[in-house]
Amino acid sequence: MFLVFKDLDPILHSQLRLAVMSLLMSVREAEFTFLKEKTNATAGNLSVQIQKLKDAGYIDVIKQFKENYPQTICKVTPSGIKAFDQYVRNLQAYLTK
Amino acid sequence: MQDENLSPQESLRLIESMINQAKNRFSEDGHLYLLWGWAVLVCSTAQFVLLHFFHSQYHYYVWMITWIILIYQVLYLRKKYRKERVRTYASNIIGFVWLTFLIMIFLLSFLIGNIAGADYYRHISPIMLATYGMPVFLSGVILRFPPLILGGIGCWVLSTIAPVLEYDYQMLMTPVAMLIAWIIPGYLLRKKYKNQIA
Repeated sequence: MFLVFKDLDPILHSQLRLAVMSLLMSVREAEFTFLKEKTNATAGNLSVQIQKLKDAGYIDVIKQFKENYPQTICKVTPSGIKAFDQYVRNLQAYLTK
Repeated sequence: MQDENLSPQESLRLIESMINQAKNRFSEDGHLYLLWGWAVLVCSTAQFVLLHFFHSQYHYYVWMITWIILIYQVLYLRKKYRKERVRTYASNIIGFVWLTFLIMIFLLSFLIGNIAGADYYRHISPIMLATYGMPVFLSGVILRFPPLILGGIGCWVLSTIAPVLEYDYQMLMTPVAMLIAWIIPGYLLRKKYKNQIA
C-alpha cells in the first residue's frame, strides 16, 4: 500500500480534484457551474481545488464575462493529460499486482 | 463531494463515474437538422414542380430562401454557443465536418461547371447527394446515432440511382434524401434530447 501512495500523483489523488480532472478529460472545456453540478461540491471547495490544479499546470482557467455575468471556464492542459494518463496507469499497475 | 484520499479502487470508480456523466450528456437537439431538412425538401420539391409542371425558366430561384436560413443559422449558433456550459470534442469535430461539407459543396458547384461543360446540370444531383452523405454519416458515427449513419448511407444509395433518371426526376431524389438523412434523424435526435432533459 505504501508503494501505491508513493507512486500516485498527490495532486490527482484527491476525490474532488480527480473528479474535476476526469470530467475535463471527457470534454473540451467546461464552465465552473457544470463542474459544480456534476461533482456536487460547494463553490468554495471547488474553487480551492481548481486553483490547486491550475497551480500544478494541469488545467487552464479562463475568467471572462458572459452577458454581464462572470464566467469561469476550465480546460485540461497537455501536461494535465499526461499526468492523468500516468495516474491511471499507476492505478492499473497497482490493481494488477 | 468530500476532499479525502481514496483507495485505488475508489479512484478508478470515481474516474469511470465522472467520465460516464460527461459522456451521457447529449447536446444535439436536432434543431438545425430539422430546419435544413425541411427547407431543402420544400425548395427541391418546389423546383421540381416549377420545372416539370410549369416549365419555368427560373425554377432555381426558390433556393434563394436558403440565404435567409443561413443568416438565421449564424444567429442561432452564436446564441447557442453563448449559452453552452460545456463544449465537447464531439461537437467541435462535428462543426468541422459540416464546415468541410460546405467548402466541398461550394468547390464542387464551381468545378462541375468547369469539368462537365454544357451538360453540367445532369451531374449536380448525384454529386450533391454523394457529398451530403459524408457529413450525415460522420455525424452519426461521432454522435453514435445509427439513424444518421443510415441516413448517410441512404444518400449514397440515392446518388447511384440519380444518374439513371431523367433530369426532372433527379430533383426528387433530394427531398427523399432530406427525409431519410435530416428530417427523420432530426425528429429522433429531438426525442432523445427531450428524454434526456425529462
